[in-house]
Amino acid sequence: VPGAGRGTAARVAADRRGPEQYGVWRMASLILAVDDSASMRQMVNFTLKGAGYQVVQATDGVEALEYARGNAVDLVLTDVNMPRMDGITLVRELRALATYRYTPMLVLTTESSQEKKMQGKQAGATGWIVKPFNPDQLLATIARVL
Amino acid sequence: LKSTPSDPPFHERRRAVRLLPGTPGNDGILDPRFGKKVFKLLPGDFFVTRRDEILTTVLGSCIAACIRDPEAGVGGMNHFMLPTAMHDSGAWTGNAGNANRYGAFAMESLINAVLKLGARRERLEVKLFGGAAVIPGMSDVGARNIEFVRDYLATEALPVTAESVGDVTPRRVNYLPRTGDVLVRRLRLVTRDSLAQREREYLQTLAREPVSGGVELFGS
Repeated sequence: VPGAGRGTAARVAADRRGPEQYGVWRMASLILAVDDSASMRQMVNFTLKGAGYQVVQATDGVEALEYARGNAVDLVLTDVNMPRMDGITLVRELRALATYRYTPMLVLTTESSQEKKMQGKQAGATGWIVKPFNPDQLLATIARVL
Repeated sequence: LKSTPSDPPFHERRRAVRLLPGTPGNDGILDPRFGKKVFKLLPGDFFVTRRDEILTTVLGSCIAACIRDPEAGVGGMNHFMLPTAMHDSGAWTGNAGNANRYGAFAMESLINAVLKLGARRERLEVKLFGGAAVIPGMSDVGARNIEFVRDYLATEALPVTAESVGDVTPRRVNYLPRTGDVLVRRLRLVTRDSLAQREREYLQTLAREPVSGGVELFGS
């Protein structure tokens, strides 16, 4: 896979093998990417898909929460400032669900204040990434927490 | 999980050197002609206000986007340009390349700031200025900036209600977010040299800085 990040290439290769050939068959991890900016969603989607991940996009916390409730998501990558429901509230709501107790949730935001970071940590976020994001750094962080 | 302390982003480090518009100690300068406070923006800045004030900047190939919500009475301006690689490298161009990510960051920072002051995305109106060809031998810099910002706003479905972009003359832009009025003065070509020098330095700074805001993993 061109542009595959370290740690993801093996996972992508595994997808192509059927369960009959291997004992364990694993799909590429599904990432729920949440951002109200269409440009940001495009760039994140491009970066993650290039590394072999499956991506579902949501435009705000409400939409993301609705999707996550009905589908098993492996990782949540969310912006903070969004209409209807912000990213910190989204993380808090998801953490309250039994199925998302241990799911990695990364915040990707223009907010770099210590105060906001602490709010994110208290809500249950796994990590905090400040924009502009560096694609290699983003992929390395995702591979580390998945 | 180990927590990695991250450097503050480039903008915060650079801005620490001078007082940002609107921070204590930089409360604008009263312009007697208008009877309003004026805030001056330099490359890399953005500023938003709820008050009846004037935001001013001088642009060569840089872009200033003026964004406001007329109903909420909130508006602001940024001043930026896309970084270019001093050495050609794949990391700089393309969909999620350094240039696009930096430009999107500059635009999103301004948009988030006006939204935080009570603006609504669907009511935002945008005016665009700058993108002139002022740097000798780098005529495409301004054009590239214009192309980026138009693409960005189209993707975000934000309407551009007025613009003065391109050409070869620098511009002084005075923006009144309260009314949405803009006064643009085309500057004489003598100002081009010093402006081109400032923009070249800005480009070099951008090229040296990694386009990255840092990562922190929270230990449990």
